[in-house]
Amino acid sequence: MRPAALIASARSMVGRLAQTAFGREAGGARLRASGSARAGLVLVGLLIAFAVLGPLVAPNDPYTSDFARGVTPEHLPVGPSRDFWLGTDRLFRDVFARLATGARISLVIGVGATAIATVVGSVVGVLAGWYEGRWVDTLLMRVVDVGLAFPFLLIVMALGAALERTTASTIFLTLGFTGWLGVARIVRSKTLQVRSLDYVLAARALGQSTPRVLLRHVLPNVSGPVVVIATILVAQMILAESVLSYLGAGIAPPAPTWGHMLFEGQDYLGAAPWITIAPGVAILLSVLGFNLLGEGLRDALDPRKT
Amino acid sequence: MKRVLRRLAWAAFVIWATVSAAFLVNNALPSDPARMVAGQQAPPAAVAKIRKDLGLDRPLRVQYVLFLRRLVHLGPSSFAKNDPAHANCANVGPLHVDLGRSYQQRRPVVTILGERAPRTLLLALSAAIVQALIGVTAGIFAAVKKQKTGDRVAVGLSLLGVSAPTFLIGLLLQWLFAFKLRLFPIDGFGDTTAEHAASLVLPAVTLGIFGAAYYTRIVRDEMIGELSHDYVRTARAKGLGPVAVIVRHALRNALMPIVTIFGLEVGTLVGGAIITESVFRWPGIGSLSVDAMLDRDGPLIMGCVVVTSSVVVLSTLAVDLAYAVLDPRVRRT
Repeated sequence: MRPAALIASARSMVGRLAQTAFGREAGGARLRASGSARAGLVLVGLLIAFAVLGPLVAPNDPYTSDFARGVTPEHLPVGPSRDFWLGTDRLFRDVFARLATGARISLVIGVGATAIATVVGSVVGVLAGWYEGRWVDTLLMRVVDVGLAFPFLLIVMALGAALERTTASTIFLTLGFTGWLGVARIVRSKTLQVRSLDYVLAARALGQSTPRVLLRHVLPNVSGPVVVIATILVAQMILAESVLSYLGAGIAPPAPTWGHMLFEGQDYLGAAPWITIAPGVAILLSVLGFNLLGEGLRDALDPRKT
Repeated sequence: MKRVLRRLAWAAFVIWATVSAAFLVNNALPSDPARMVAGQQAPPAAVAKIRKDLGLDRPLRVQYVLFLRRLVHLGPSSFAKNDPAHANCANVGPLHVDLGRSYQQRRPVVTILGERAPRTLLLALSAAIVQALIGVTAGIFAAVKKQKTGDRVAVGLSLLGVSAPTFLIGLLLQWLFAFKLRLFPIDGFGDTTAEHAASLVLPAVTLGIFGAAYYTRIVRDEMIGELSHDYVRTARAKGLGPVAVIVRHALRNALMPIVTIFGLEVGTLVGGAIITESVFRWPGIGSLSVDAMLDRDGPLIMGCVVVTSSVVVLSTLAVDLAYAVLDPRVRRT
């Protein structure tokens, strides 16, 4: 797909999400008017385009060391040039190709983990909120409390060790199944508000079953904040993935994760700063993009906040 | 009073559940601690003996019960350091805490934690000061300049700060202030007090910036809310200067939620400390837990989990209780 088409489709998707959240055009208009939402959309669009097209147009393989062209006479990595757009790293591999493959990893893990976390968090939150004060609520919220006190780094490392080798799926499953705690809290409080509204009471008075009321009336009306959290959660997941791989607990090398690229580059900050700058800027802009988009969505959903 | 006791019991339960879960996960690790303790060249008989001495040949349930029983137990108030029954203990009066021995460092875990904890505490406190100073100042500034350029810049910078990973900020500061300007040590802890202080600056600022960015937004939102109240207009009408109005009236009322969030953010601070300490090789609990995990040093991992989860749970508890003391409306529910 061409980048323009991709951006357009992403834009229409977000617009549609915003519309379902408000139920009318006004939200979409507010979203388009918001500067931070537009900036966020541009950054996220660029990230998607880079992840899709980058590996295709990269002139070199991300995993192969080039001892012929990628090395200076002093045996140092070469800087940005026509052969290597962003220079080579300490093993003389193409930084641009690695950055582009890393973008795919970051994006897939970020979105995948967020999807899991949002689904689990919404289900838990709606159930806890609906049955507030009963044992379901107590149990679920206690699990959340324990989860928030648990050092999640340990789970990831333990899982990685148990599976012999940490793969992309280990990371995104772990991040997904540890990231829902915050979502559950927010969805629960929103459900508490929605639960006692007239249309929910009416639906119950009409004799609709609980699952039907939850699915048809409660869930759609808590979806607004969920869209906002999910967008910001993608940013946090990308951040978390980079932290894990920076600390050496992420996807096993030679996979070009941005966090690990940064880790490898930091000893060469003086001699070859591009190894560190490239993934650093990439992480910063991606996280910033999703954060801006989330802010824009929140402002559009709740105009009083601005 | 009943509520306080219930909250205390709940806090104890959360710590127990976290530690138990960590114990399970930790034991799922496919490593051979006995081999690690004995060394790579040790004969199989020696490895078997160590495995028996450490109780690693017993079923997991038994190991778990032994672990919990050792963790907190009663013992003599004073005991000789070489007393084999309490060689790995730290005590407050007759209450003993025993987390076993580190496989790698071959020392009691409580001793290692005791050395490391004050350094992390120092780092966290310094970061909290940085965070409060920058966050409150920038937040008030943005609130006063609401919707003007100054506000946009402050909000934009804070969003940038929230989006930058801690290790990126750390590397940037390292490169600028240690590598280029040579103002501060690049990493480590130093040997003298002056060196400790110089080594503390960059990690503290690194850890503080993330919190400051987050804080700026909270303070801004709270202050905008307070500044729109009638009492602010009254104070202004009385002829009070802008500084007095902002600091003595509005800030005072905005302080309560600000302090609450400060307490609830201790978990984030702990997480940030792990990364900051690794970047700057600051020898605290954070870098210790990463090393322990990469080394698969079971007792040390458990020690770090016990400390960090206790800190997070207890600080949340402290906020809850402080809230009840400060705000009578909360007490009744």
